[in-house]
Amino acid sequence: MDLRDISEEEFERIEAYLAQTLSNEDLSVFEERLQNEEGFAEKVEDIKTVLSGLEAQALKEQLDYFHDELLTNEEDVIVEPKVKFLNWKRIAVAAALIIAAGSAWFLSGNPNEKLYAKYFSPDPGLPTTMGSNANYEFYEAMVSYKQGDYKVAISKWEKQLMEHPKNDTLNYFIGVAYLADEEAQTAIPFLDTASQNASFPLINDTYYYLGLAYLKTGSLEKSKQNLEKSSIENSKALLSELKN
Amino acid sequence: MRDAYKLDYRLEVVGAIKRNDSTTLKRLYTNNYPKIEALILKNSGTKEHAKDIFQEAFLAVWQNVKQDKFIPQSESSINGYLYTIAKNKWMDVLRSQGYKKTITASHLSHFEIKDEENNGIDDDILKDKRLEDVMLAFKNLGEACKSLLRMFYFEKKSMNLIAEELKLDAASTRNKKYRCMQKLRQIALNNN
Repeated sequence: MDLRDISEEEFERIEAYLAQTLSNEDLSVFEERLQNEEGFAEKVEDIKTVLSGLEAQALKEQLDYFHDELLTNEEDVIVEPKVKFLNWKRIAVAAALIIAAGSAWFLSGNPNEKLYAKYFSPDPGLPTTMGSNANYEFYEAMVSYKQGDYKVAISKWEKQLMEHPKNDTLNYFIGVAYLADEEAQTAIPFLDTASQNASFPLINDTYYYLGLAYLKTGSLEKSKQNLEKSSIENSKALLSELKN
Repeated sequence: MRDAYKLDYRLEVVGAIKRNDSTTLKRLYTNNYPKIEALILKNSGTKEHAKDIFQEAFLAVWQNVKQDKFIPQSESSINGYLYTIAKNKWMDVLRSQGYKKTITASHLSHFEIKDEENNGIDDDILKDKRLEDVMLAFKNLGEACKSLLRMFYFEKKSMNLIAEELKLDAASTRNKKYRCMQKLRQIALNNN
C-alpha cells in the first residue's frame, strides 16, 4: 500500500471524518470502508498522525516565540536602576506620616465607617478568558474592573446597560464598581435593580453589597434589611456586629 | 455561590486550548515557565534543559486536553498538571544513563515525589516515530505551504478567510492545501 496514493477528494473526506463533520449518510459509507477496504484504516490513521504532527510542530514554534518574548520581558525587569536611588529615610518619614494620618482617620471615623471599611472588598469579578464569542464588550470592561479602573469599567458597562437596562449582571457589576469607587449613593439604584431578579446567581452578593452601600450612606435600617436577605457568611457577621 | 460561573470557565479554558487560542496559550506558558525553570536549575539543570523540558511538558498537556484525556477543573489544575509532568520528565533525565555518572543520588532527593504520582499520566506523545517525522517535515517545509497549513490546522481559520487572505478563490485554496499536505507527507515519508 502506498500511503501517498490519495486523491484530493479522498483526502477531504478523511479530513471531514476526523473533524466529525461528515453527514450521517456519508459516515455510514465511510465506516463501512474502514471495516472492509484493505489498507483504508491505515490511510486514515496516517492522515490523523500527519494532522497531529503538523499542529504539534506549529505549537512548538509558537512556544519558542512565547519563550523569546518571556526572555525579553525578563531583561526589561532587570534593568530598573531607579530602585538603587531610593532614599530610605525619606520613605520612612512618608510611611510614618501615612500611618499616622490613616490611624487618625480610622480612630476618629464613626463606627459604621469602620465596619464598612472592615467588610468591604470589591467583588473579584468574573474570569476573562473569553474567546471570540459574544459579550466581548462585557468582558473587556471586566478587565478594566479587575485592574481597578472602575470609572473606565463603569462607562463601558453603562453603554451596554442602555440596551439591556434590566440586566442583573450588568447592574450588579456597575453597582459594585461604584461602591469600589467610593460612590455608594450612586451604587444603590443599580444594586437595587439587580436584586429584583430572585434567580440571579449572585443574588446573595447583591444583597450583601446593597447592605454595605446603605451602611456607607448611613441608612442603618435599610442596611440591616438587605444584609438579612443575604446568606453569605460575611453578611451574617456584619449583621451581628451591627446589632451589638 | 460562584459555581454557576465555574462551569462556564472550565469550558472556556478547555475550548480555548482546543482552538489554540494564543492569548490563553501564552498566559499558560508565561505563568508556568518560571516555576519549572526554578525547579530544574535547583536540580542540576541549565536554562536550556528547562526550556526543552517545559516545552515537552506543555505539548503533552495540550495534547491530553485536546483528546479529553485530561479534563481540567480550573486553570490551576492545568498548572499543577503541567508542573507534575515537567517534574517527571526531568526526573527521567536525571535517572537516565548520561546523567547517572555526574549526578549523585542526593540530587534526586530534592524532589520528594513518589513513583506512583506518575501513574495514569500519559506524557509520551512525542515518542511516536511517525509523529516525530511529520513534525520535522513540517519544520522544514517551504514557507508558503507552511503558513497555509498553519492557518488551516493551527489557527483554524475558515476556508473563506484564508482564501481572502491569499487573494485566491475557494477552489484554488483547497487545491493548494491538498498539494501542500501531499508535499508534507512526502517529506515525512522520506525521513524514514
